Amino acid sequence: MLNYIEIIIRFFSIMLAGIFSGFLGSLTGLGGGTILVPVLTLFYGIPIIFATGASLISTIATSDGSASAYTKEKIANVNLSISLEMATTGGAIAGSFVAIYMYAHSLSWIVYVIFGTVLLFSLYPAVKKLHSEIPKKTKPDWSTKFFKLSGSYFDERLKQTINYEGSRWYLGEIIMFFAGFFSGLLGIGSGALKVLGMDWALNLPMKVTTTTSNFMIGITAATSSTIYWYAGFIQPLIAAATAIGVLIGAYYGSKVLVRISNENIRLIFFSVLIFLGLDMIFSGFDKINLVLVDTVFQFSFAAVVAIITILILFFHEKITPTGGKISEKL
Amino acid sequence: MKNFDDTMVVSHFLRGGSILSVMFIILGIIILFVKREGDGFTLQQIASYSYSLTHGIDSKNFPTSDIIQGVFRLDGIYFVALGLWLLIFTSISVVVVRLVWFAANKDKKFVIITLVVLFNLFFAMLIVPSLL
Repeated sequence: MLNYIEIIIRFFSIMLAGIFSGFLGSLTGLGGGTILVPVLTLFYGIPIIFATGASLISTIATSDGSASAYTKEKIANVNLSISLEMATTGGAIAGSFVAIYMYAHSLSWIVYVIFGTVLLFSLYPAVKKLHSEIPKKTKPDWSTKFFKLSGSYFDERLKQTINYEGSRWYLGEIIMFFAGFFSGLLGIGSGALKVLGMDWALNLPMKVTTTTSNFMIGITAATSSTIYWYAGFIQPLIAAATAIGVLIGAYYGSKVLVRISNENIRLIFFSVLIFLGLDMIFSGFDKINLVLVDTVFQFSFAAVVAIITILILFFHEKITPTGGKISEKL
Repeated sequence: MKNFDDTMVVSHFLRGGSILSVMFIILGIIILFVKREGDGFTLQQIASYSYSLTHGIDSKNFPTSDIIQGVFRLDGIYFVALGLWLLIFTSISVVVVRLVWFAANKDKKFVIITLVVLFNLFFAMLIVPSLL
């Protein structure tokens, strides 16, 4: 059993993991939970059940904290967020039930593998420059008027009012269901998937998608959290340490974000995420003895792949004329 | 009611709610470390992941109905639990404010949409426990 000093050190070290995750999550636009779960399971040996429970709570904390600022700026589209939350909350309930089933049937390795895969795919919209900050005008459809998908906001950087008209609400709703599902299954905010859905399906400006997504994350995570609570996935000490840590990290991350001028610095952060994603997949397969190499080799392999990927992206950015603006939109 | 700025109300709710909940969480941790026990478990037991997993030191064993009593007993774990629930309710309060706003503006379509979201939230909160 641990002594008193060791417990204090343990508490603060978990809090430190929360600060690191909140900081990195804020800089990459993925949110703290996506980084927190791999860090807690891979480096702290915390059971994934408690890691995902703590992550959900931290996700609500950061969403509530930052959404209060975004709503003041009036960029987030409130009507849109409410209509999409029908799907995200429904998906969150379904995802939480699947999570309970998997843990009850010793299938946690699948959660590890799905987590790693989702983490790697989440990087796609973050790294790839999908299109310019203001989307091309598309023809409004029946859903534009019915669900009030149009709006406007004042862009501080472009110094002009941007008008937009979203369309294809039904497609967005389908993607949002899956965003909610993964949020419930993995204990994350699924911010990347929400942004992708609004950007690709609804064709909305990036500023509107990121702020609206942040707003929705809290309500989606609140739905899963209540189910996680009754299922016993929330360990009070771990959840408390991470909630405080992630809040501090996200606060400083958002302060640093505005000061980072060289976008290539963010490539380093993305490499950390590639490393964590690969390690989660390895850990999952390791649990059913599908990986025949030891942990040190797994870590080294993931690190080498992460470094090579980032080097390729770095040189790709250098030679493309639009390079150096990786996640300006996030 | 047309002049009622719902975004400002939501912003205040979110900020106030998250500050209050974090305060309860921090207070709970301080109490837990000072008293070196919570809900009948020693601090050593609470801090052990494996012991927590096998002996059920998790949210399932801290029923919401016990939270207020636990807080009055100055039990650190229940202070943390209250903080965590306040965080959840802060998110839900946003939906409720929105419902009031849509109702005040006689926007029936969005009242129904918001009610569906609230139904999902309350399904997770009130019906799911009986299914588990």
